[in-house]
Amino acid sequence: MFDLLPHLLNGLTLGLLFALIALGFMLIVGLMEQINLAHGSLFALGAYVAMQMMGSRPPLPAEMAKAWLALPLGWRYAATLVIAPIVVSFVGMLIEFCMRRTYGKDPLYGLLLTFGAAMVIEELIRLVWGTRDYVLQVPQAVSGGFLFGELIWSTYRFYAAGIAAAIIGLVWLLIEKTSFGATVKAGAHDSEIVRALGINLSRLRLLVFVFGTILAALAGIIVAPIWGIRPHMGVDAVIPAFLVIVLGGVGSFWGAVAAGLLVGLCVGLSGAYASEWSLLSMYILLVAVVTFRARGLWGKKSVLEA
Amino acid sequence: MIAAPTNSPDAARLVTPTMLVLWLVLATVPLWIARIGLYPYLGIEILIWSLYALAFNLVLGTAGLPSFGHGAYFGIGAYAFGLCQFDLVANLWICLAAASVIAGLAGAFVALFISHRRGIYYAFMTIAFGQIFWTLAIKSHRITGGEDGLLKIARLPANFGFVSFDLTDNVAFYYFVLAMFAIGVAGLWRLVNSPYGRIVAAIRQSETRAAHLGYNVWLYKASVFTLSAAISGFAGGLFAMAQLAAFPDVMSLHQSGYVVMMTLVGGGLVSFWGPVIGVFVFLTARDVIGALTNAWMLYFGLLFIAIVLFRPEGIAGAISAMLQQHSLSALRARGNSAMRLLLGGGR
Repeated sequence: MFDLLPHLLNGLTLGLLFALIALGFMLIVGLMEQINLAHGSLFALGAYVAMQMMGSRPPLPAEMAKAWLALPLGWRYAATLVIAPIVVSFVGMLIEFCMRRTYGKDPLYGLLLTFGAAMVIEELIRLVWGTRDYVLQVPQAVSGGFLFGELIWSTYRFYAAGIAAAIIGLVWLLIEKTSFGATVKAGAHDSEIVRALGINLSRLRLLVFVFGTILAALAGIIVAPIWGIRPHMGVDAVIPAFLVIVLGGVGSFWGAVAAGLLVGLCVGLSGAYASEWSLLSMYILLVAVVTFRARGLWGKKSVLEA
Repeated sequence: MIAAPTNSPDAARLVTPTMLVLWLVLATVPLWIARIGLYPYLGIEILIWSLYALAFNLVLGTAGLPSFGHGAYFGIGAYAFGLCQFDLVANLWICLAAASVIAGLAGAFVALFISHRRGIYYAFMTIAFGQIFWTLAIKSHRITGGEDGLLKIARLPANFGFVSFDLTDNVAFYYFVLAMFAIGVAGLWRLVNSPYGRIVAAIRQSETRAAHLGYNVWLYKASVFTLSAAISGFAGGLFAMAQLAAFPDVMSLHQSGYVVMMTLVGGGLVSFWGPVIGVFVFLTARDVIGALTNAWMLYFGLLFIAIVLFRPEGIAGAISAMLQQHSLSALRARGNSAMRLLLGGGR
């Protein structure tokens, strides 16, 4: 049993990261009934913007760049965590503006639109940053490793898992315990009544999409030091995110979180026995579940299955 | 979903005038394609991908089932063709049959798991199976050659018993592919316009209604998926011959996405010919824009976004709308002049 412990822990931290990656995707699917395939590209964009800000040549005028670089690394990292997602959220806004034409139509159109957007963003990333790999600098306090039970553990993995858990909790609070969350959920449930109550629905949808974008970019920054930064990272992220949502079931918050953990454990444990095939395990898990359960583990009825 | 079942007299024909004209035009391609700066191999690629996209559209357009992992069956066909050639018997017809049978079996296997699902769950199950097949192709080094691919696949001669054609030359191979394409198109046209095709189209409009009319929805969904996989595999076998190799990248999610894009850009949802138009535009754009800039996918992505936003019925839909508008304005002009005659004009 103790031999398995490292793999279990590894799977658990991986699972929290999967849940974090799926979080923004889930909000947009659950609250807008739109599949945002550009989620992965926004995730990648977050990582790239953060890398640019943390690098030695930030895209600022000379004076400001000097002042910025004079800040300690920890402060710069904290500021990046806030600023980079906001920068990326403008791209999300642009996508939402285009997406408005597809509301009320077959959800296939939203999916295709965001597929096109994903392609465009990925190509733009290749144009601006090239195809090489980058590394995101993180403060000393969270990098390196520590010894525990005769094994070396990466500090950053635990930091990332902790942040992921914190963000998941905060998002849950925002949706379940605030009036903003109530309005948004009502908008997803019955948009006509919400509009009749005098709430600006298109602003509400914009806000939800921007919120989803910010979460995607944030996930990108958190995950980047583990996965590395390269143009393909968007696709590597959107597929597990999509998978986690389908496995957990559309419209279920804790379903998605549980599915994320399940996928992480599955990948982590199968990695212990057959590392070559560990990525396959999550697809087999999905097939095994969705073959028998129509809406994933805890899914609700939605227009996405019409 | 956009639905436009056509009840033209062509529906009952085996070979329609459109097909004849298309085949004749395609038959002249090797005569002039080099003059406009392109090459015969592009023609081969367009024909093979067109057959593949038409087969794919059986699932997406006719049945309305979102299959996003179709590259798997195309790739399986390519591998099956190569492996049959190496390990069983080096006969063109047997190898092509093997390509479509193996791909069809893979499709039937997948259909068992997905045919009772709909919408996003159906879509993601097809992605999951696509990824499973893709991973298998990459990791099974001993069988498929892994990421290097299955190399040295030969273009076997087309043996008809009394006469045998050598297909190693690109022009000869082009005509062979054209013949296969012609047969495939005629067969698919018959299938789509048969009672079977009508029932599948009815299922697209409403599964519940079709089930209440007494049709076994599951069986139709499973069989149309299997058929589509088998024809995709056949196209894959041809593609292995064209490339002289089979690579796993046609099975990747990206490439599976491309066939969806081609089909929709062309207008597969409203027209039988949509996928062919889409493949033609996509592959020609790849070569022409790709020669000018490295970032051709950027421009194609923007075009794709514009089509989804403004012309969701695709190029075929835009063309038919244009034609209708044209005839409409012609009608109106005629109507106006008739009016003027009646009212004594001038006023």
